[in-house]
Amino acid sequence: MRQALPAESTGIRPTSHREQTRTSESPHLAWTGISDALHAEWTKLSTVSSTGWLLLACIALTVGGSATAADVVKCPASCGADVVRVSLTGIELGQAIVAVLAVLMISSEYSTGMIRITLAAVPRRSTMLAAKAVVVTGVVLVTGIIAVLGSLLAAWFILPGNGFTFPAGHGLAWWLGLHGGSPLRAGAGSVLYLVLIALFSLGVATAVRDSAVAITVVLGMLYVVPIIGNLILDPHWERRIQRYAPANAGLAIQFTKDLAKLPIGPWAGLGVLAAWAAAALLAGGLLLRLRDA
Amino acid sequence: MITTTRTNTPYRSAQQAGRDGFGQLLWAEWTKFRTVRGWVIGMLAVVLLTALAIVALAGTAKAGTNSLPTTAIGPGGQAVTDTFYFVHQPLDGNGSITVRVTSLTGIEQPPPTGPQGSPGSSRGLLHVVQPWAKAGIIIKASTRAGSAYAAMLVTGGHGVRMQYDFTHDTAGLPGAVSAASPRWLRLTRSGDIITGYDSADGTHWTQVGTASLAGLPSTVQVGLFVTSPPDQKASPQRGGDSSIVSPTQATAVFNQVGLQGGRPGTSWAGDQVQPVLGPSPAGPSPRCKSSCISPGLRESAGTFTVTGSGDIAPYVPIVDPIGVTFKGSLIGLLAVIALGAIFITAEYRRSMIRTTLAASPRRSRVLVAKAIVIGAVAFIAGLVGAAIAYPIAEDKLRSQGWLTSLYPVRSLFSGPGLQIVVGTGALFAVAAILALAVGTMVRRSAGAIAAVIGVLIVPLILATLLPLGIGQWLQRLTPAAAFALQQGNQRYAQVSNVCTPYHGCYPLSPWTGFAVLCAWAVVALGLAAYLLRRRDA
Repeated sequence: MRQALPAESTGIRPTSHREQTRTSESPHLAWTGISDALHAEWTKLSTVSSTGWLLLACIALTVGGSATAADVVKCPASCGADVVRVSLTGIELGQAIVAVLAVLMISSEYSTGMIRITLAAVPRRSTMLAAKAVVVTGVVLVTGIIAVLGSLLAAWFILPGNGFTFPAGHGLAWWLGLHGGSPLRAGAGSVLYLVLIALFSLGVATAVRDSAVAITVVLGMLYVVPIIGNLILDPHWERRIQRYAPANAGLAIQFTKDLAKLPIGPWAGLGVLAAWAAAALLAGGLLLRLRDA
Repeated sequence: MITTTRTNTPYRSAQQAGRDGFGQLLWAEWTKFRTVRGWVIGMLAVVLLTALAIVALAGTAKAGTNSLPTTAIGPGGQAVTDTFYFVHQPLDGNGSITVRVTSLTGIEQPPPTGPQGSPGSSRGLLHVVQPWAKAGIIIKASTRAGSAYAAMLVTGGHGVRMQYDFTHDTAGLPGAVSAASPRWLRLTRSGDIITGYDSADGTHWTQVGTASLAGLPSTVQVGLFVTSPPDQKASPQRGGDSSIVSPTQATAVFNQVGLQGGRPGTSWAGDQVQPVLGPSPAGPSPRCKSSCISPGLRESAGTFTVTGSGDIAPYVPIVDPIGVTFKGSLIGLLAVIALGAIFITAEYRRSMIRTTLAASPRRSRVLVAKAIVIGAVAFIAGLVGAAIAYPIAEDKLRSQGWLTSLYPVRSLFSGPGLQIVVGTGALFAVAAILALAVGTMVRRSAGAIAAVIGVLIVPLILATLLPLGIGQWLQRLTPAAAFALQQGNQRYAQVSNVCTPYHGCYPLSPWTGFAVLCAWAVVALGLAAYLLRRRDA
């Protein structure tokens, strides 16, 4: 075991010269404003080695999952497939990593006791939570854009080899969403989906504090609820789950064919997920204010 | 004889032996588990969540309003399909029938709206024989559908078989039948015992099997039959949530028909046993006018050409209400995975692991003791939860109109009931051990829980998103194969039914699927033990 374990697990890095300088420049502003809270959250997140690995894993799983899905869809059998949706299948895998990252952002502070230091430094708890939300949004936004662009690029590369023919104008630029249209909506929507999953996870983790409970609840919502929704024998409940469960509703943004048959429209579905994320953050924020850390 | 007693036994402290024992280690791990209130509450929650979710799912399971398939009730009381063209005459008492089959051909009507541009579904009929198309000789209690029978038959793709009373199937000579390699079949009746033989040349006979049909009347119907089940494929579209049923028809040519013990002067009568379900290729389809033959018999100079559609097989419904209902146990399983991982990651978080390893320096033994304790607790939690839920769920399903003949009542203590309930416990136990092993490797609870959910539960959803073949491979290779334990419908090798992840159907048999999960757990545990020994705690 490396000596650096305590530093890693608490997220504290020995203070660098840059930070010392910064603090001495503006002592009266230190740790009061949102920008300092943001800076603190960014420092905590970016100096833990697991963050980089998780983001890399998120990109690898998303692009790898999407490329595999594109590779196994062959045209004579499934010519009617929704190719844009197929090429974004990897989001199903990448979202788990995003959830882990967002849950750890707050629950690892609880498990190490770091949260007390954080709250001593940023006493306004909603500011602290907002700073975490902004930082995780930024990080997931960048990661999600890379992962989605990689997925669409892989589909553009793989699908023609599987017998799919695309009309003129459906070249690389179309796939990457530069012409607007369905790849742009599905691709940008998938990035937003990942961001909303991160915010939802952050909210849940703030509310329950324990990382194991939080990740179990979030992954249950992301995977077990859709499985039960697929299998449930009552059509009314099937429809309810497809319309109102966070993952089912949110992933409606990926559909580009037969939109009229969807239980919920693409943007409305993403809106449902946004409502879940907002509710989780609100509940987390309220509990954060009400409870001792 | 004088026995000498050795008195100088070397001194060994009883206490030392006790501390060194594996039993003490198990006891220590059990103490750790039962004294953490959150974990005990967690396991009680597993029991409650499992039972509640299963019962809740059963409560929403209204029987569909789909038209029910034509089925008959077989000798065992189960729903069966018994539709075929029967060329028969009565047989009084003992006797035997011998026949030579020289050809078995088939046609299939492709789905009306096949995927455009697909070469396999060009306009018109496909000249293929369904693998389970059956043609041969049969001794049957009566012409009533569902009555007891024994048959020797050739199939489209599974060689010669002897089948009786719908559920029994024994393989005979392999290979397809043709004019160049005909198949000779023989059935002899002696009391209630019917023996089947096959031969490739009509002189050298091999016994394939015997059937004991209790209560067979003295006068039975004996003769030739042909039938061909509809070809069912899952829709190749992503999702595979709908199945495509293509009607098929088979035609077989029989000659050298020899009947011993028949009534002299009786001629063969041709009858359709139970109408063919669904659209038949011989039906009023515009494509089929010229090339289809209506089911029936054409006889010329001792050669019988018989055409038929249908199946003689147990009826396997596509929907599996008990299996679907037991997916509610996934909620309890989530908690089991979390507890399995925390059982070790909490020790790392609190540095308790150093105390544990100081007390018991042989690290693999610690891991094994932990695995036994968490596995046993998870097994009991799953077993109790499932055992509470099973009778209530069955009762609810029944009261909501799930047919008893298609879905027979299976008590908790019947084979299938025990498989589901004990299987749920076993699934929980090995999932907890897998989570423990991954937790030992990763040391952080969030990562460990996410990884186990990723390999155990995520394949279930990926399988419904990917094309059917890939989805089924996921269900064979990943630990998710173990969910086959919770299937409620009995499956038969001789019934090719559509099996899609969307309907909660798993390609592997229940205990084979469980073995896949066990293999993953063993490999993970081995890796965890290796890392535990290699790394500092």
